[in-house]
Amino acid sequence: MAHAQCASFRENIPAYALGALDADEAAALEAHLRTCDSCTAELADFRAISDALLMAVPPRRPPAAIRQRLQARLPGASLSRRQKTRRLWPSWSFGQFALGMAIVLLVALNVFSLFQIQALQRQQAKFARQIQTGQAAFAMLAYPDTKSIPIGGSNITGTLLLDQEHNSAVLIAWNLPPIADNQTYQIWLIDPKGQRTSAGLFRQEPGQPFASQSIFSTQIISNFTGLGVTVEPAGGSSQPTGSRIFKVDF
Amino acid sequence: MTNSDDNALVAKVAEGDERAFLALYDRHASHVYALTLRILRDPMLAEEVTQDTFLKLWNRARLYLAERGTLLVWLLTIARRTALDRLRLEGRRPNLSDGNDPEDLWQVIPDAGTFSEESRWRSMYFAVHALSPEHCQVIELAYYQGMSQSEIAETLGWPLGTVKTRLRAAMEQLRREWGNL
Repeated sequence: MAHAQCASFRENIPAYALGALDADEAAALEAHLRTCDSCTAELADFRAISDALLMAVPPRRPPAAIRQRLQARLPGASLSRRQKTRRLWPSWSFGQFALGMAIVLLVALNVFSLFQIQALQRQQAKFARQIQTGQAAFAMLAYPDTKSIPIGGSNITGTLLLDQEHNSAVLIAWNLPPIADNQTYQIWLIDPKGQRTSAGLFRQEPGQPFASQSIFSTQIISNFTGLGVTVEPAGGSSQPTGSRIFKVDF
Repeated sequence: MTNSDDNALVAKVAEGDERAFLALYDRHASHVYALTLRILRDPMLAEEVTQDTFLKLWNRARLYLAERGTLLVWLLTIARRTALDRLRLEGRRPNLSDGNDPEDLWQVIPDAGTFSEESRWRSMYFAVHALSPEHCQVIELAYYQGMSQSEIAETLGWPLGTVKTRLRAAMEQLRREWGNL
C-alpha cells in the first residue's frame, strides 16, 4: 500500500528507471526503495518499459566484418584481457582503412651471403606472386622448425614466422593503417635490454594489396627478443619516434 | 528461438564454446547493432561498440544470471552503457532529433492478437512514435542519449520542472498504452 510520504518519491521513479534522475535524487530514492515494497513494485513496472525501449529499435543487419573480426579474435579473447593492460598504441578507427582490404607485409630478416640473398629474393618474388592465392603463408608454415607467433594489435592481425635454424623470419600482417606520403613504416629489432636496432623501412606498393621488403641484419636473430613496427618520417629515424603499430615478442 | 535456448548457449560460452558464442551473435547482433547505431548515429562507432559488446559477452558470460532477465536485455544493457560511454568519450553534441530514421524497417503495427516477443517490441516502437514531439524528445534524450533531467533542461532551455513533468507523463503514457498489452 502506498504511503503519503511515497508521493514525492513515486514521481521520480519513471526517471530513475530511465537512468535520468540526478545523482542526489537517485540516492534518496534508493534509500527509500530499500524500505518500501509498493515503490519497488512501481519501479519494476517502469523497468519493464525501459527494457522494452532497448528492444524497440528495429533490428539492422550489421556489417559482415564484425563477425569476421570477432571470429579472428576468439581463441585469444581471454588473452586480450592481458594485452589490454599493456596497450600502448592508439586504437584505429575502422574508417581509417578500407574494410575488406588486406595489406600484406612480407619481410625477411637474415644474415646471408649474396647467393642466399638472391635465392631469398627469388623466393620472395615467388611468395609475392603466390600471396594473392594465399599459398605463401602456408608454405612458410610448412617449413620444419618454423615457429609461428600471432600478432595481436587493435585491428591488426597477422603472424610472425620465425626460422632460427636458417636465421630468417617472415612477417605477414593485414590491416596496417595507411600512412601519409611523407611517412614510412620502420622495423625495429629489440634486444634483451630493450635497445632498438633498425631493420629497415618499407611502404605499401600502390595498387598492391601487400608490401614486401628484404631486411638484413648484422646480427643473428637469436640475439633479439622481439620486433616492432612504428610509423616514422620518410627516410626513417635512428631510434623510434612515431606511433607503434605493433610489437611481437619472439 | 527461446530464452531457455539462449541460457543454454550462454552456459556453453562460459566454458569457452566458440560455436555457441557465434550462434548468439547470429541471433542478437542485429538488435545490438541497431541500438548502438541509434545512440551513436555513426556506423563506424556502432561497429566498434557492437564488437566490444560481444567481446564483453565472451569475457563475462559467467556473470550472466538468467533469473535477472533475458539474455537479450542483458546484452542490450551492456551495449547501451558502452555506447553512451563512447558518446561521452567522443565529446559528441547531443542529437536533438526525435530519433526517427527513414531506414527503420518496422512499418506495420502488429495485430493486437499477436503475442510474440517481437510484436511486443514493435508495439513499443509505435507507442514511442505516438508520443507528442516534446514527450518523444525527452525520452530520446534521457534514454538513447543518456542525459540526466538537469542536462536535458540545460540542453533544451526548459525549466527543470517542465522536463520532470514531461518525462513522467511520457513514461506514464507508455505504461498505459504498452504496459497493459
